[in-house]
Amino acid sequence: MPPRSSLARYAVALAIFAALCLYASRAVRIEADFAAFLPPSATPEERLLVAQLREGLVTRLMLVAIHGGDERALAQASRALAERLSRDPTFDYAANGSAGQFAAQGEVLMRNRYALSADVTAERFAVPALRAALEESLAQMASPAGILTRANVARDPTGEFRATLARARPAAAPARRRGVWFSADGDSAFLIAQTRAPGFDSEGQAAAMARVRAALGEAAPQLKVTLSGPGVFAAESRRLIRADALRLGMISTGVILMLLAFVYRSALAVGLVLTPTAFGLLAGVLVVQAVFGSVHAITLGFAATLIGESVDYPSYVMLNAQPGETARGAAHRIRSTLLLAVLTTVASALALTFSSFKGLAQLGVLTMVGVAVAGLTSYALIPWLLGERLLQFPSLRVPGGDAFARAQGLRLAAIAATLIAVGWLAATHPDWWEHDLANVSPIPAAMRAEDASLRRQMGAPEVSVFLASRGSSEAAALEAAEAILPALDRWQAAGLIRSYDSPARYLPSPSTQAARLSALPDNAALEANLRDALRGLPYRAEAFAPFVADVAAARGAAPLTRAAYAGTPLGTKVNAQVIALEGQWLVLTPLGGVADPSAVRAALAKLPNATTRLVDLKEVSTGMLESFRHEATRQALMGVALICVLLAAGLGSIRRAFRVAAPVAAALPITIALLVAAGQRIGVFHVVALLLVLGIGLNYALFFERPAANETQRERARLAIALCSVATLITFGILALSATPVLRAIGATVALGAAVCLVLAALWAAAQPTDRELP
Amino acid sequence: MKAAGVMILLLLAGSAWSAPGFDLARLMQLLSETPSSEVSYVEKKFSALLSQPVVSSGTLVYRRPDVVEKNMAAPRKEGYRIAGRELTITRNGTKRSIAISAEPLLAASAASLRGVLSGDAKQLGEYFRLALDGTEGDWKLQMTPIDEEVARYVQRIVVAGREGRVREIEVHEASGDRSVLTVN
Repeated sequence: MPPRSSLARYAVALAIFAALCLYASRAVRIEADFAAFLPPSATPEERLLVAQLREGLVTRLMLVAIHGGDERALAQASRALAERLSRDPTFDYAANGSAGQFAAQGEVLMRNRYALSADVTAERFAVPALRAALEESLAQMASPAGILTRANVARDPTGEFRATLARARPAAAPARRRGVWFSADGDSAFLIAQTRAPGFDSEGQAAAMARVRAALGEAAPQLKVTLSGPGVFAAESRRLIRADALRLGMISTGVILMLLAFVYRSALAVGLVLTPTAFGLLAGVLVVQAVFGSVHAITLGFAATLIGESVDYPSYVMLNAQPGETARGAAHRIRSTLLLAVLTTVASALALTFSSFKGLAQLGVLTMVGVAVAGLTSYALIPWLLGERLLQFPSLRVPGGDAFARAQGLRLAAIAATLIAVGWLAATHPDWWEHDLANVSPIPAAMRAEDASLRRQMGAPEVSVFLASRGSSEAAALEAAEAILPALDRWQAAGLIRSYDSPARYLPSPSTQAARLSALPDNAALEANLRDALRGLPYRAEAFAPFVADVAAARGAAPLTRAAYAGTPLGTKVNAQVIALEGQWLVLTPLGGVADPSAVRAALAKLPNATTRLVDLKEVSTGMLESFRHEATRQALMGVALICVLLAAGLGSIRRAFRVAAPVAAALPITIALLVAAGQRIGVFHVVALLLVLGIGLNYALFFERPAANETQRERARLAIALCSVATLITFGILALSATPVLRAIGATVALGAAVCLVLAALWAAAQPTDRELP
Repeated sequence: MKAAGVMILLLLAGSAWSAPGFDLARLMQLLSETPSSEVSYVEKKFSALLSQPVVSSGTLVYRRPDVVEKNMAAPRKEGYRIAGRELTITRNGTKRSIAISAEPLLAASAASLRGVLSGDAKQLGEYFRLALDGTEGDWKLQMTPIDEEVARYVQRIVVAGREGRVREIEVHEASGDRSVLTVN
């Protein structure tokens, strides 16, 4: 037990910590919008891409497959589930392919068929065309297939409703059995549910998934359900990352605690080792909250990783204490090295704070504050807490660098490895950078592939290439989208595109609607034409009174707007495809089956109007990552320059600064080259991890380079470095075992990087003359 | 006295209702013994829109066990062939195939034709409630759809016949329209 006065000091420290925790739990707002980790968007296309990735229609599609029963049971469950989910406020709608499922939407199309149908012209209501239409209806009367079409014949003898409906139908749809969507093999019934929560809202998505499972549990508990879709994957991957991080975190915490207990043989010391990191993380979170107004969940996760380096600081202080020396004495002795270790990490994190990724900027601030506070805690708080108390450590003999020192060959090998790594990376640059934004997503590639195949099978839209038609108003944008419809039909016929889904089909521009409606004849003219057309046909004279009434109503109707579709699947779609963006309006026309986007772009360039542009999301995402790469490189160089200045100033000698920086500078390309050789592509997560490697590596180099007064000091310094590096290797080595790509990338990068740094720093230090006095 | 009179009336009515030995099972047996056939037909379509019925005609073909064809010759040529799991429509010179299982209405229509022609009570019972009326020489089978989806369009189908032969098929649509197909 520590003495009484010391006990009071622990109580003070604990009370401050508890108060800060309490404050943080109330003040800090955690956000989960993953767009914070996407590059900022410079061009309108990029903003569009981010919007699509975050909350686009496609991200809100949940694909539901019911299986584990016979066809009848599956069809029944599909109907019951669609009915329940459509009533659920969690969903915009749930479609299962059954006819008449969206009566309200059908009614909108029926009521506005004359504004919607491209076939509406004055000739269509003249005697010859009417006569032909009536004769066709008569033939339909005799046909067994007519049972479906006959229902509307009195209102719509010219078939405008059917024509409109045919156009609103998606290009591809699953096969149907018993009136609902089924997989081709008939083993599962399909539904498509549109969630209200955007795809990135993994909590909202998880709640929606639970609703589906609960609804099916009520309707058909014996059946099974498989859920898929971008939102589902976001929720699933978050759950996986969480579970993985928790499990691996607990394993590595256990191992690290055992390691600390073995080295320190004191519960107090183990507790003290954790203090700086706890204070640092807490202070960092509070500052980020104050600066940014919220803390991103991913920032928090990564920050715990980044300031993991600070776990090393107390060990450097306590283990460097010589026998009989207090922690205060040791802290005082190594303060300049510790200060440099902290400042170089702050400098590398400073580069992050200038990042235009909001998430990375947050991460930079959190790391800077966290590391600084942890350093201060290690330097001041721990010695204050320990007071005059001396910590006794068993003498652990760490194999020294003597063996290394004699191994001239190893040093040559290290230099050769560095040169090869640099040369290879330079030659293959920029192939080893991540090009596809989709791969930056934490969702495993296999899951994404499964989703894509399901989506194809269900005919759900895939948004990768689309046309964006621009206008100063909604009407102007719709006109621009309408203007390319003939070209789209030509391209489809020519096989340039497989399908397209233009909102102008079900939301024509006001001028087009007005033109169509003005082509409708007035009552007297229509009645006269109808009388002539009916002559000699076996229809009752008043049979088509509903038709005349509907045409009259259409002539006087207000233009069809987006609002008319409210609460229907088409309404959801129109709202996603007709959008206001920075004072302008955009109409998006997704294209399906585009084999060669550049061919479509060339064809588009030949059209007279220039208000429509092709947006290829893959291309845009590549561009965004390229600009990220440039930014990251620039900021990394800035950080490196700053670190060099700090080292030179702190060590008071350019030669010593070089001795510290060189092994780390060599370790980074070797680490990257090893990662790339192992098949990884360097993305945002790797860059963050490499920054940690930089911080840790500099610490090793600094403490290796620190001149020792005697053999005991040297041995203590070696013990401190050994403990820190073994702890890092264990923590991140375990993380590298994770099944989640993000965690695996960070774990592998840091573990590998730390190992390379350690070896190079040791080799480098061993190469230096050893017996020098303290500066 | 009165009660006994009612009893006798009921018994008489009962025996008239179903002549000894004639029930659904017997009808199905008769139908199942009828060989493949090809007959001409006339169909009349009655609708509230029409001042007089629309008449069409053609041939009906049944080939055991599961092929039914309706080849309309007038007022224009249209062909409908139900075979296996598919319906093939030939119209305006083009052929199109639809899986029968896709639409409940289609499945029920196919079952009503194939079930009656092959004498398959199980197939009929899957989609319709059955009520048999008459005698072996003059029977009427009334079929009421079970599935709501089907009932939205079809109210009931009445098939009339003599022994193993179908004489008339009457379809009452939910809209009030009606068609009567008579086999010559």
